[in-house]
Amino acid sequence: MSGGFDAPRTAPRVVLQFDRYDRRYLPGQALAVQYEVAGVGDDTIRAVEHSVLWYTEGKGEEDLAIHYFERVTDRSRLQPAVRVSGFATHLPASPLSYEGVIVKIRWCVRVRIFFQTAKDFVSEHVFELGVVPPARMPAPSAS
Amino acid sequence: MRLPRIFGKKRGHRRSGSQAWGSFGDGLFHAVLLATGLVFGGLLVSGVAVPEWRMNHDFVGTRSTVLGKGLVRRTVEDPPGSFSTTWQPCLRVRYDTGGVLREQWTRPSTSAITSDRSAAIRGLSAWSVGEEVPAWYDPATPNVVVLERGYNWWMWLLALLLPGALLAFGGKGLVRAIRQWGKSEEFRAAAGSLTDFLDPLAAPVGAADLPGVPACDDMINSPGTILRYRLPIESPEKWTLLGLGLFALAWNAIVAVLAIGAGVDLLGGRTDWLLFVLLVPFLTVGIGAVVYFVRMLIFATAVGTTQLEISDLPLQPGGRYDVLLAQGGAGTFRSLELRLELEEQATFRQGTDTRSERLVVWHSPVEAWRGVQLSPGTRFEARSAISIPAAAMHSFAAEHNGVRWRLAVRGTPVRWPAFERVFPLVVVPATAGARARQGVPSGPEASP
Repeated sequence: MSGGFDAPRTAPRVVLQFDRYDRRYLPGQALAVQYEVAGVGDDTIRAVEHSVLWYTEGKGEEDLAIHYFERVTDRSRLQPAVRVSGFATHLPASPLSYEGVIVKIRWCVRVRIFFQTAKDFVSEHVFELGVVPPARMPAPSAS
Repeated sequence: MRLPRIFGKKRGHRRSGSQAWGSFGDGLFHAVLLATGLVFGGLLVSGVAVPEWRMNHDFVGTRSTVLGKGLVRRTVEDPPGSFSTTWQPCLRVRYDTGGVLREQWTRPSTSAITSDRSAAIRGLSAWSVGEEVPAWYDPATPNVVVLERGYNWWMWLLALLLPGALLAFGGKGLVRAIRQWGKSEEFRAAAGSLTDFLDPLAAPVGAADLPGVPACDDMINSPGTILRYRLPIESPEKWTLLGLGLFALAWNAIVAVLAIGAGVDLLGGRTDWLLFVLLVPFLTVGIGAVVYFVRMLIFATAVGTTQLEISDLPLQPGGRYDVLLAQGGAGTFRSLELRLELEEQATFRQGTDTRSERLVVWHSPVEAWRGVQLSPGTRFEARSAISIPAAAMHSFAAEHNGVRWRLAVRGTPVRWPAFERVFPLVVVPATAGARARQGVPSGPEASP
């Protein structure tokens, strides 16, 4: 869980549960999550976005792609959505999570809460798609 | 109220900037471009387009009599202390404006402004004093009269081109900044269809139903002679050779111009020592560029072509595939080696530069041959097999990052420097059935 730099002083918490406790999924498998938001205090919530995405880490500029995205702004859905909510999606065949040397691919679920005060709070929960062993620097060969 | 921080979070090797400040700066930059385009365009429309349009549509036609001829002289001091003079033909005409006779100096629009006074006088010979010519006057300001009408299309093109480019670039950027303002990173990525439509080359083309996996359509359009496909070669050295050739050509063209100038001076009995001193290093670099280019050209053509054929594409983790290596040319190779490699590629910005880093993170020798003897007209051929590890990472291509599988051929000819030729491959993720058959491990193990 992480807070954005615009996070309000009350510092909300997002407790998110994956349907697989080890957070490891195979390509094409269904992913279901439930999350609960606490510590909002008196701040009024304007919108909530939850998404499933991958992004790259490492030496290069960040690449990012969304697999699933939903923005909840409807007031009738907003309050229940903020307190306890969840969603499910089928994961794609690629790209698989990858722990390379200068390129890493991470899959995550993000829950972003927008407050009426124009501040937002984002919570990121990483999971793994596929089983790819981490890459290591090969030993220099004689050839 | 707190302002957003300039720097955001640290991710990997780099620190990401503040999105809010970045969006603000991006929007401001494009707004300035748009405003400049509007101001510039407005000035050109009001100063060029509207007067010309009125002249062709609102001015009233009449007959005029040429009363006298003259030249307009303009003297400009630029740079300070140096004066230049230009001349333009002009005519004194009498014309009727609804019963009122007026006299006015006017400049025929086709008469060019020239620094040659005699040419300007020759331009006046097209009119004779006492001659009657058609004229058009401005009904709002009858003192304004022209003897020719029409459009200056070059002026219109210039007037539209620069402000048009500023308006288009600034407007597009401002619309994008406004659309993205206050939106989350995820929202922008999810709504990226407009950006993809406007800039389709920004992201690599991927395989259908396999996000992030590069397509291999251009790899399977060339059949092999023995195996199914002939792999395309990745040859950045060809572009280097072309670039070097163009540089040598351009550089030596400059040297030739300088040398001709120096030769003309010498024949005229003058010796410009500064030019001669300049010529020496220029000539040295020019000769060096030609020598290096010729050496690279001979090397590129002398070693002979390398071809690789493969039994199937795209490749699957756990799969085993036949490959055929064919090496042409003449002479003896101390060694010829075929390797299967996995390379990571990252593109990043360093200041104003965009840099790419490549790193081979896994490799496996396929086969190596020693003392290969080649003769003209025949080629060395050897068949081998490659195996993609069952838990291998698939090929991945995004805008700034990539994971690439490739076959690398390294050769060491006796008479020439060692070379490497690379043949990209595409490995797709294993299907569910393949994973089950191969019993993909559930935890990390040896790379890749």
